[in-house]
Amino acid sequence: MSSVLTRRPGAAELHPVRTRRRWTVTKVTLGIAVPVLFVAVWQLIAVLEWVDPFLYPPPSRLGPGLAALWEDGRLVDATVTSVRRVILGYLLGAVAGVVIGFLMGMSRVLRAALEPFSWAWYTVPKLALLPIFLTIFGFGDTSVVVLIAVTVYFFVWISVMSAVMAVPTGYREAALMLRVNRWEMFRHVLLPAALPEIFVGLRIAAGVSVLMLVGIEFVISDQGLGFLIEQGRTLLLLEQSYVAIVLVALIGYLFALLVKLIGRLFVRWRDEDNAIIPS
Amino acid sequence: MDQIDHLTAPGSTGEEKPAAPRITVRDATRSFVTAGRSAVHAMGPMDLTIGDDEFLCVVGPSGCGKSTLLKIIAGLLAPSSGEVAINVSGEHRIPIAMVFQDYGIYPWKTVRANVDLGLRLTGRPSAERREIVDDWLARLGLTEFADAYPGALSGGMRQRVSVARALAIDPEVLLMDEPFAALDAQLREVLQEELLAIWQARRRTVVFVTHSLEEALLLGDRVVVMSARPGRVIADINVPFERPRTGAVRTDALFAKLRGELRTSLQPQVTAQFDAGKDKR
Repeated sequence: MSSVLTRRPGAAELHPVRTRRRWTVTKVTLGIAVPVLFVAVWQLIAVLEWVDPFLYPPPSRLGPGLAALWEDGRLVDATVTSVRRVILGYLLGAVAGVVIGFLMGMSRVLRAALEPFSWAWYTVPKLALLPIFLTIFGFGDTSVVVLIAVTVYFFVWISVMSAVMAVPTGYREAALMLRVNRWEMFRHVLLPAALPEIFVGLRIAAGVSVLMLVGIEFVISDQGLGFLIEQGRTLLLLEQSYVAIVLVALIGYLFALLVKLIGRLFVRWRDEDNAIIPS
Repeated sequence: MDQIDHLTAPGSTGEEKPAAPRITVRDATRSFVTAGRSAVHAMGPMDLTIGDDEFLCVVGPSGCGKSTLLKIIAGLLAPSSGEVAINVSGEHRIPIAMVFQDYGIYPWKTVRANVDLGLRLTGRPSAERREIVDDWLARLGLTEFADAYPGALSGGMRQRVSVARALAIDPEVLLMDEPFAALDAQLREVLQEELLAIWQARRRTVVFVTHSLEEALLLGDRVVVMSARPGRVIADINVPFERPRTGAVRTDALFAKLRGELRTSLQPQVTAQFDAGKDKR
C-alpha cells in the first residue's frame, strides 16, 4: 500500500479574485440570514400559538408599535437622549481609562499605589452607586453620563494597563538601544504594540456602556430607551418594550462596529482575519 | 585563559592592534534571581578587551551567557559585579546599536519607517534622513519593499531591515546577537558576505554573538570562546585572514584547522552545559 499525497492549487489559488468576492457575499449573507431566521422563528412560534401572543408579541406587531411611538415623537426623543448619554459617558470613561491605563502600565509606583484600590472599586456594581450620583448630580443626564463613564473607565483601564504590560521585552529593548525616552517609548512602541488589545477592550466597553445605559434608565425611569422598555412593561404596552429592546440591540451593534472600524484605521499592519484553524 | 597561546594560529597578528580599547570588561559577573529559587550564576567573572574598530565574535554553548554579556555591554542589563567600560565619542545620540535575533523590528512600522526610526529619534532633518534611509535600503536590497510592513516579508528580509536600522544611525559600536541564527544556510551566507562587505567598507567596533564557528571565523578579527555556565573566556584567538576578505576563505586550509581547534575547545563546554541541564531534573 503506497499512497501519494498531492498538493495542488485549490479554488482560492486558481481564482483568487472570484473566491474573495464569493466569500464577501457569503459573509454578508450569513450575517443577515441569522437575524432574519431568528425573527422568522419568533413569528412562527406566535402564529402557531405556542406562546401567548399578548405576553410575547410577535414581530408582525412591532410594526404598529413602532408607528405609534414614531408618530408622537417619543421614539426619536428617547433614541436621541439615549445615544447622547451613552456616547458622552463612553467618551469620558474611555479617555480616562486610556490615560490612566497607560500611566499605570508604564509606572511601577503608580501600579503599586492604585492597583489594589482600583480593583476593589471595579468589583462594586456601579448601579449600586446610583443613589450617590443622583444626590451629587441631580436627577437627569449628568448622573447617567457619569455613571456610564465610571463603568466604562474600569473596563478600559484594565484592558489598557494589561495590554501595555504585555508588550514583549524584546520590543522594549530594541527601543532602549535607540536611546528613547519615556515619551518616545510610548509613541513608537507601547502605544502601537498595545493598540490591538486596547481596541478589544474598547469594543467590550462599548457593549457594556449600552448595558449600563438601559439599566440606569430602567431604574431612574425618566427618559430614553430604557424608560420606554420599563414603561411598556408597567403599562402592558409590550410592543413598545420590544421595539425599544430591538433598537437598543441595534445601537449596541452599531456602536461596537464603529469602534471596530476606528480600530482598523489605527491598526493597519495587522491582517484583519488570520485566525487559521484546521478545516 | 592559558589556552590563548596554544590556540593562536601561526601567522596571526597580535601586534597589529595596539589601538586604545573601545570596550573593557573587567571582572564582570551576572546572576539572575528567579522567584523562590536561589540565584543562577549566569556569567563571569569575565575579563575582555575589545579594540577600536575590531570585529569580535563570541561563541559558546547555549545558555553560557553570551547574550547576557551583550546586554551588559548594551546597557540593557547591569553586571552583578565588576565593570564594563565603553569608550564613545559623545557626538552620537545613539552610539551603540544592536541587531536582535528577533523582535528588533516593529510590525506596526513599514520597512522604511523601521530603518528611519533611529535617525528620526536623533532629530535629523527629514530630507537628510530620507537620503540615508534610501541608501541603506538600496545596499541591503530592500528598496522594492520600502513601503511594506515587515509582516509581509520573509525572515531574511526582516533581518536585513534590522541590520539596516542599526547601521543607518552609523553607530560607533554595533552589537549583534545571533542575527542570522533564524535564517537558512544559504541566506545566512549571503547576509554574512553582505555584512562583511559593509563592515570592510566602513569599519567600526562589532561584538557578534554566534553559534556558528564558520561565521565567527569568516567575519571576526578575533574569536572568543566562552565556557559553560557561568560563562568565562576560555580561549581567545586572532583570525589571521587578510582584509578585505570574502567568502572564499571558507575553503582555506587554515580555516578548517582553526575551526577544528575552536571545536575542540568548545566541545567539552557544550557537553558540560548539557550535563548541567540534565542534573537539574
